[in-house]
Amino acid sequence: MNNMNCRQLEELLPDYLQGALSPAQTAEVEQHCEHCAGCAQDIVMWKKLALLPQETPSVESRQRFDAMMHAYSTTVAETAASVRSTANAHAVQQQPSTAKPSWNFIEWLRSPFGAIAWSAALLLIGLYAGTHLGNRVAPEHSDEIASLHAEVTSMRQLVALSMLQQQSASERLQGVSWSTREDHLDPQVQAALMRTLRSDGSVDVRLAALDALSRHATQPLVRKNVLDALQEQQSPLVQVAMIDQLTEWRDPGAAKSLRLLEQTPNLNPAVKQRAEWAIAKLQESTQ
Amino acid sequence: MTSVPDEDVMLQVRDGEVHMLGVLFDRYQAPLFNFYSKMTQDRTVSEDLVQEVFLRILRYRQTYRPGTTFRTWMYQIARNTRIDQVRKVRPESPLTSEPLAPTRANDSAERQQEAQLLQRALMQLPEDKREILVLSRFQEMKYDEIARLLGCETGAVKVRVHRALQQLREVYLALENNPAAQTQEPRRTSTDSLPPTGRVQ
Repeated sequence: MNNMNCRQLEELLPDYLQGALSPAQTAEVEQHCEHCAGCAQDIVMWKKLALLPQETPSVESRQRFDAMMHAYSTTVAETAASVRSTANAHAVQQQPSTAKPSWNFIEWLRSPFGAIAWSAALLLIGLYAGTHLGNRVAPEHSDEIASLHAEVTSMRQLVALSMLQQQSASERLQGVSWSTREDHLDPQVQAALMRTLRSDGSVDVRLAALDALSRHATQPLVRKNVLDALQEQQSPLVQVAMIDQLTEWRDPGAAKSLRLLEQTPNLNPAVKQRAEWAIAKLQESTQ
Repeated sequence: MTSVPDEDVMLQVRDGEVHMLGVLFDRYQAPLFNFYSKMTQDRTVSEDLVQEVFLRILRYRQTYRPGTTFRTWMYQIARNTRIDQVRKVRPESPLTSEPLAPTRANDSAERQQEAQLLQRALMQLPEDKREILVLSRFQEMKYDEIARLLGCETGAVKVRVHRALQQLREVYLALENNPAAQTQEPRRTSTDSLPPTGRVQ
């Protein structure tokens, strides 16, 4: 019996593909396909998709997840603590006013003014219930909302922050590279990058941090931080990179800082030479 | 050995035992990574997206309702994460992009070529058609689960799967007849074809 047409088959085909048909229906589909190249080709195409391999995530994926969890827990704990302390401060401030009820509340409710206030309050409660409780997906707990607002918004920022604190230089390098994946430089991440630039034990990590910060040269604070860090820097390699960066930015304060640097006793000759070159270059551009 | 159902684990996460999210990560990072790799063809982007999904699960854990299938809820988040990623994708390519190797090393040359064509064909489908094929074929999702995920009828899902398969077949045949043809760019940066979603976060 082969009286099934393509339209009828169309209804069965999707279930056939997932193996959800009864043996009798399966046989009907297969019988139809013996005579209908178009429908048969759909099935061939579906089977051909098996050629695409299953992908396996990298091993670092789990490490990154752990770093994210760690950073998240730390951030939320800190935020919760600050929310609590703010709430306590409010409670302390409000105590004196709640402690002296100088009028009769019931009497006040009965007065015309009280009645208006009462109705308004009911209206507000109704409005609140309508707009908030009706939204089933909204988080229920207000402290959760508070911490959601306060926490670092991006997973990348969390990972960057967490990785910048790691023991191994390669992980800190990864942290720096995470920070560059976000267009917007979060203040916390910026502060962490600045700490890295000033005091990281590895030259590579310091250089990477400078590179990451240089992406945000439009922010005056970033330039100022790099300028300040120049005097503290010990590695000639990083010093030269910073000088180049400051020259590129044509920062107005750079020349003064560079002259100061030149006077540092025992300054590496290469750094001194670079500083001189930079000062000349900056003068050129201001003329 | 029976493992604790996803839903029970998620309820524990919701109720404050956030470290239990690691259990769900171990269960779902590979399927999610596969979903994203098939959608984006990029390993780095896919790994980023998987991490982002778990961060969102953590942040929005209070919105998880008992009785909701965890997997469906997670894929809703995964779809929204993907939509957000497509919307904010920068015109220049990402800093570190790592395209997928489309084939298995031990496949024959012919099969490797077929797989490459298949991958190109898949990437040329509109986002919604590619998605429904990936969900039904690679994520082993039944049509009724896809229907809940997309917020439509099961019948509509079946029709869409069939249409997507037919279009894939057409694109594949065109590429097979003219493999050198540089057909239109994959629609990586377009949200036009994304169906509306009921956002869960």
